[in-house]
Amino acid sequence: MEIYLYIALFAPLAGSLFSALFGASPKTSVTGMVASGLLFVSFMSSVVLLNYVMAGHTVHVEMMTWIAAGDFYVPFGFVVDQVSVVMMMVVSVVSTIVHIYSIGYMDHDKGFNRFFSYLSAFVFSMMILVMSDNFLGLFIGWEGVGLCSWLLIGFWYHKESATWAANEAFIMNRIADLAMLVGIFMIYWNIGSLQYDVVFAEISNLSIPIVTWIGIFLFVGAMGKSAQFPLHTWLADAMEGPTPVSALIHAATMVTAGVYLVVRANPIYGLIPEVGVAIASLGAFVAMFAATMALVNRDMKRIVAYSTLSQLGYMFVAAGLGAYWVALFHLMAHAFFKALLFLGAGNVMHAMHDELDPFKMGGLKKSMKVTWILMTLASVALAGIYPLAGFFSKDLILEVAFVEQHYVLYTVLLLTAGLTAFYSFRLVALIFHGNERHLKYGIHPHEAYTFMLYAMAPLAVLAVIAGMVFKTPYYEMVTQLLPAIEYHVHNHTTFWIMTIGTQLFVIAAIAFAYKKYAKAVRVDVKVESGFFYQLLYNQYYIPKIYDEVFTKPYRELSKVAWKQIDLKIVDATVDGIANVIYRTGEKTHTMQNGNLSSMLRWMVVGLVVLLVLAIAFTVGYNAVTMRAM
Amino acid sequence: MQEHILSILIFFPALAAMLGFIVHKDSARAYGITVAAVEFFLSLWLWYLYDPMTSGMQFMESAPLVAAFGINYIVGIDGISLFIIILATFFTMIGIASLTETRRVKDLIVTLLFLEMTMVGVFAALDAVVFYVFWELSLIPMLYIIGAWGGPLRIYASVKFFLYTFTGSLVMLVGMLFMAYFYHQATGQWSFSLLEWYRLILPLNFQLWLFAAFFVGFAIKVPMFPFHTWLPYAHGQAPTIGSVILAAILLKMGTYAFVRFSLPLFPDASVFFMFPIATLAIIMIVYTAMVAYAQEDVKQVVAYSSVSHMGVIVLGTFALNVEGISGSIFLMIAHGVVSGALFLLVGVIYDRRHTKLMSEFGGLASVMPRYATLFGIMMMASVGLPLTINFVGEFLSLLGFYKQSHGFALVAGTAIIVGAIYMLTAYKKMFFGTVTKEENKHLKDVNKTELLALVPLAVITIWLGVYPKPILEPISNSVESIVQLMHDKAQTPEAQKRIPNLGNPEVKNLQQEAH
Amino acid sequence: MEITLAHYLVLSGVLFAIGLIGVMRRKNLLMLFFATEILLNATNIGFAAIAHFHNDLTGQMFAFFIIAIAASEVAVGLGLLIVWYKRTGKIDLDIMTSMRG
Repeated sequence: MEIYLYIALFAPLAGSLFSALFGASPKTSVTGMVASGLLFVSFMSSVVLLNYVMAGHTVHVEMMTWIAAGDFYVPFGFVVDQVSVVMMMVVSVVSTIVHIYSIGYMDHDKGFNRFFSYLSAFVFSMMILVMSDNFLGLFIGWEGVGLCSWLLIGFWYHKESATWAANEAFIMNRIADLAMLVGIFMIYWNIGSLQYDVVFAEISNLSIPIVTWIGIFLFVGAMGKSAQFPLHTWLADAMEGPTPVSALIHAATMVTAGVYLVVRANPIYGLIPEVGVAIASLGAFVAMFAATMALVNRDMKRIVAYSTLSQLGYMFVAAGLGAYWVALFHLMAHAFFKALLFLGAGNVMHAMHDELDPFKMGGLKKSMKVTWILMTLASVALAGIYPLAGFFSKDLILEVAFVEQHYVLYTVLLLTAGLTAFYSFRLVALIFHGNERHLKYGIHPHEAYTFMLYAMAPLAVLAVIAGMVFKTPYYEMVTQLLPAIEYHVHNHTTFWIMTIGTQLFVIAAIAFAYKKYAKAVRVDVKVESGFFYQLLYNQYYIPKIYDEVFTKPYRELSKVAWKQIDLKIVDATVDGIANVIYRTGEKTHTMQNGNLSSMLRWMVVGLVVLLVLAIAFTVGYNAVTMRAM
Repeated sequence: MQEHILSILIFFPALAAMLGFIVHKDSARAYGITVAAVEFFLSLWLWYLYDPMTSGMQFMESAPLVAAFGINYIVGIDGISLFIIILATFFTMIGIASLTETRRVKDLIVTLLFLEMTMVGVFAALDAVVFYVFWELSLIPMLYIIGAWGGPLRIYASVKFFLYTFTGSLVMLVGMLFMAYFYHQATGQWSFSLLEWYRLILPLNFQLWLFAAFFVGFAIKVPMFPFHTWLPYAHGQAPTIGSVILAAILLKMGTYAFVRFSLPLFPDASVFFMFPIATLAIIMIVYTAMVAYAQEDVKQVVAYSSVSHMGVIVLGTFALNVEGISGSIFLMIAHGVVSGALFLLVGVIYDRRHTKLMSEFGGLASVMPRYATLFGIMMMASVGLPLTINFVGEFLSLLGFYKQSHGFALVAGTAIIVGAIYMLTAYKKMFFGTVTKEENKHLKDVNKTELLALVPLAVITIWLGVYPKPILEPISNSVESIVQLMHDKAQTPEAQKRIPNLGNPEVKNLQQEAH
Repeated sequence: MEITLAHYLVLSGVLFAIGLIGVMRRKNLLMLFFATEILLNATNIGFAAIAHFHNDLTGQMFAFFIIAIAASEVAVGLGLLIVWYKRTGKIDLDIMTSMRG
């Protein structure tokens, strides 16, 4: 089995290196095919491993030593167990599809080979992240996906906005990474190892405050990667990258790494339920917060990005409340339908010549029928309508909140579910229904390449069946590792009222969205100039606040540090001392007037001074030693 | 030959430099490359002969110089100095190989070979006087390189460099003389041998004064805040080769000397001064990172980033445990490789455009893709991405200091944030965006000579990031013996608590090695 | 009255003071030489006296050295003085400022 593990892990790296060989040369479609093929190989190996794991085994290998100094020892070790195999499947499925899709999407791009090199490198990093058997190995993947995310957001590096967003994402993630490093330090100095199995076995021996701090620091690390408030602004800006990147990195895989970390570290969080509740509360807040921003946004990709943020909030609610398997399940289902949604958005962008404002589109269902069906399907799944994937995973989180008696969280999540349905179908309605508003901009849309649509088909199938078919086998598998808690509302009446009520509420939201946006779009000036609309439209002014509070002061402070402190104080002091010595020389050189007689006089003065000093020292020294004696 | 390999390694470049004067100036380059390559392979051979399992000094040589005052020519290496010596020979080699200077090449090569002797000498010396002699001699070639081949402000920069570091060294010399005097008082014999000094246990107040005296010399060399201001001038004016050697090797003399002198000689004082020094280190990390962010000249960004990284090294050194010190020594190597490579990269663009202002560039990624890639790799290494060489050192340094103080390590950890800020911003200014300047449109990508220097560095950066064991293991072994020595010598309860007792009977005490 | 070491030392000190004043006040180069000789001889007396009273010949040895050096110094100095006089016709100290810093 080890060989499959290594294939699953290193096939993406091979694809990346192969594409990198052609990095600077013009497009060669072979790179895309080889990279996709190798990912498919990785996917097949993951399937083999999945079968193996489902039979109740796990694979654990230690490849080689990485860092060893003193007592500190960390190897490159990999583990395929019930949790990591789920992640491997998600990552390899979505990335294979996105790779194939990208062959069409990046068809005309000059950086075709470079793109595949970065994209495969990302998959490799992600595989390290999920397969590592220790915290530092996870950190390699953690930073590796950060690097690839930086490369891919800034892929079109001639665009100022893209490179700015890339840097923002990297730096913001670094802030969280510091917390994660500190968490790792704490684990090492308290337990003496970073291996998961050792840490999880020993963690209950530590005092609760220490475990709490470890949990908090690790979670802050997770907040950066999963773009939780207040480190969320980078995700919306990251939409500057090519759309397949958004589908793979900023929807399906990388941003869920934070959730994976919390799920993986469940023995730690299991000891500190208070932190868990805090995580869940933050998650619920972010779910609502992001959904409200998605309501009014006028950028197709940003709407989907906010939706991702909102769904990540849901996952953290589940993880925080101890329903780790539910969080992981929603992670998986979400990966499928959100990637589908993004790829559909990519088709639309291609058709509309990179136009992103849905208010400038409309009636696309005529020319892009398949995309319309796929995106509607994805939106239905996202909204959580029975029997699609979202219903099983998302409603389960609502149930978790209810069963755990966190009614406030439950209410927030329920409201958010309505908002989710509304903004998803607002988008669908604006793009695919109504008048063909784009015609006046001289755009004649066309459907994407057929193979791209075929590539999307598996995602559509998964978005439909993932909930229904996978739930039971999934539950049986992961609960071998994760706490097996079934969340059932015991009272049958309550259960049916809740389920049907939620469904009706969501359907009403969808209907409202269609009614408002499917026909003609009326711009209500009064609403749009209102405070709340502006607040939401400007993302609660948070990017502006960050700019004013952090970015600008930092820049100014840096200037002050250089021009005022470094040059005018530190360096000037040094030069000042040198100048004093130099000036003293300048001033006193008149002493050397060449007149022998006056020089002799100075000599006598010097002699007298030295004599006095010598006598003073002798007397002083004797006095001190006498007293000492 | 094996028993004299260190002396050969030290004096071969100097001898070759003498002979270099009679070499014809057209063949000076080839001569220089040959000599440096031979020297480099000698140092590799040294590594091959080195026994990584022994923690003490190896290849020791001893010859009396001034026997009456216990001044001997003693050289020897352990895992700590071995790799810095290899780094020095390696950088001299690729520095000469990638030389683009056209003015008075022969003089420059002779100077570099002489400099190589002093560098190897400093790291191999085990006698304080020999150490001091090499330490000071290293200033002269550098003074000459900056003063003769530098930019418009070269005289100011070189004089500042010389006087500043020289002043510090004089204070250090006084410290050394006092140390020898105390040794004489204690044992009745004169000795400048470091290994014999290790056996001396000094009272705390003596330790404090001596520590301070040594500190001044070392801190200026590192350079630690607030003694760092000579460095931007030196880098700003020095030719590429000067900056490369300065950043890669010469700065390491300071931090190396902390490990070699300050820690084992004055363990109690080291603990006493731990937090003041850590404070300075944190100021170095954060403050110079901010200054680097404000720079307009890309070479100054790299120069200030050096100071910032040296802060992490100092912090790791004063973690006083095996993880931290091993990490800081590994980071010395890592920072040598990465900052050396970054200065070479800056030199590449300077040769083409004769400017280092970032506002003059922009969009270079499309004009010079290979250059952008190499710069990107080195930038990411500098930022401390895992699987690059810097990460191992930074991680271990911070991990080590975390044991001593959570708060300090947390604040120092902002290095990974502020480092990313200035590096990414500089990279964006230079490589991203559209090409706006006409001169930049037809710049040539890196040529074969430049690749010859840069590709090996990139390979080392990733190789040692993925597999640091061949270097980290000998370093860790030697550090263990130093930490054990410190623990055994520690007198104050604070020091006994802070310096871990490894209690490993296999760790050979350096004291026994002296015999 | 017995002549003790103190007497010699006082004599030496007085001579030294005279020499010192001479060195400081005199503008004539020849007079400067005289003053220097007085200084040297002041120390000679000190050395010889201390050597005698301590029964240690080292001091007298030093005195001999000083006499020898003083003699050679005067020889060289007077030679230079004569050359200087021939060139300028003066031996006034105030005009000898070619070493001005």
